[in-house]
Amino acid sequence: MNAGVIDIGYLELFGATAFMLVAAIVAWALRLKQTKAIVVATTRCFLQLLAMGLLLVYLFKYQSWWLVCLVLVGMSLAATQIALGRVKGKGLNIWPEVFGSIFLSSMIVAFTVVEAIVHASPWYDARVLVPISGMVLGSTLSATAVAVDRLFSDMDTRADEIAAYLALGATPKEAALPSIRKAIGSGLTPALATMSAAGIVQIPGMMSGQVLAGADPMIAAKYQIVVLLMISAATTLSIVAICFSTYRKRFTSNGCFLSPALR
Amino acid sequence: MAFFEIRELTVSYRRNGVTFEPFNSISFELSEGQIADLIGTSGSGKSSLLCACACLLPNTSGSLLLKEVSSNSLSPEEWRKRVCYVPQKPTVIPGTVRDNLLLPWSFRVRRNDTPPSDTELRLLMDEASLGEVNLDRDAAQLSGGELARVALLRAFATKPNVLLLDEVDAALDDASARAVSNLTRRLVRNDTACLRIRHRPPDGAADRMFKLEHGTITQLNCTDKGV
Repeated sequence: MNAGVIDIGYLELFGATAFMLVAAIVAWALRLKQTKAIVVATTRCFLQLLAMGLLLVYLFKYQSWWLVCLVLVGMSLAATQIALGRVKGKGLNIWPEVFGSIFLSSMIVAFTVVEAIVHASPWYDARVLVPISGMVLGSTLSATAVAVDRLFSDMDTRADEIAAYLALGATPKEAALPSIRKAIGSGLTPALATMSAAGIVQIPGMMSGQVLAGADPMIAAKYQIVVLLMISAATTLSIVAICFSTYRKRFTSNGCFLSPALR
Repeated sequence: MAFFEIRELTVSYRRNGVTFEPFNSISFELSEGQIADLIGTSGSGKSSLLCACACLLPNTSGSLLLKEVSSNSLSPEEWRKRVCYVPQKPTVIPGTVRDNLLLPWSFRVRRNDTPPSDTELRLLMDEASLGEVNLDRDAAQLSGGELARVALLRAFATKPNVLLLDEVDAALDDASARAVSNLTRRLVRNDTACLRIRHRPPDGAADRMFKLEHGTITQLNCTDKGV
């Protein structure tokens, strides 16, 4: 299989940064003030992916169950930080809830796929477990960030309505439920849109990677289907968990709603 | 025995980053079947007082007693089932007029209560001059005045012990405001009391009048009665 892989030389790899000139020129011409962000994102992309490559080389060579689990926890911690970074400015202390939702949902689904569908041997086979967990974590962090942002924005927008629901005897959960429904719907939309477009509009990342690496396109397609289904399951679990575990942050212990005016 | 008693009620909260204490240690009571009007300048804390009575504000101290039962001995939902606050701005959910009127029965606190029948709802609608509005009509098609009355009727239909009306007639025309006033008078009889904020001329429905000013509450001679 490796015989089919066409390696990229480091010269060509660094030469590819020229593609970022397109974004840089647009940012400069339109005065987007994004030059720093473009440089940082490009540098991070290089460093993080090369570091991940080196880590995987080491991991595949010396893999042990605890080392693989440590890497998965580290990836989950990073996913939590990135997700929280996307919902800044809402005055929320939800680190444990975000970590719990992302970590548990991703690991439940990733381990189910690796053990029950791929039948990896050993069960902690880093060559299977780490990339699959990475894909799931990447999607759940985005969906979780979208859901949290939508949940608290919608609760603020519905402040009068929530107060009216409470006044009529609703519990905080009943008052927040319309916002929770909207947040879960918003979080699910990207995963469902990707599933609908897969194979028609785009060849998703994993399938493209496997085809480029010389795998049989049918095997690559089957893997991709499993990946899309597991991403859908993991994002659903994660956004349901995060919405139901955090909506109470906008209520006091005696059921008063902390509207924007009262914060 | 006072029907509804407020003892040494103090409220403080942060509004837009500034700590605000609209009133400190105020006490008053309402008798059964009584309607009391609450007046005061804008910003004097009238709405905060009504919200605090319904346990809708954080950082509230003092005690609230309904028929000698303290708010602390009930869950917030159970208390609000008995002491119902109706805001000035009507809240309407997507759906029919019936869906809106029956909203309180979709909540767990009323899971064992029988919701009013269509006949009872129509009777209430008639009393609020909404007889021509069909229960199956989409609530989004109602006018502002009709929405305000539907939101008010929703609270009336739950038959609370204490009704806290926060300028509910502010957006109504004179005829509709009169209908609401008459409806309030008819509803507030045995086992009920009402505290309302009004900025309209006296309507003759109030038995007592309180003034909230500079954080203290005083009872005025009710010249309103019989006007």
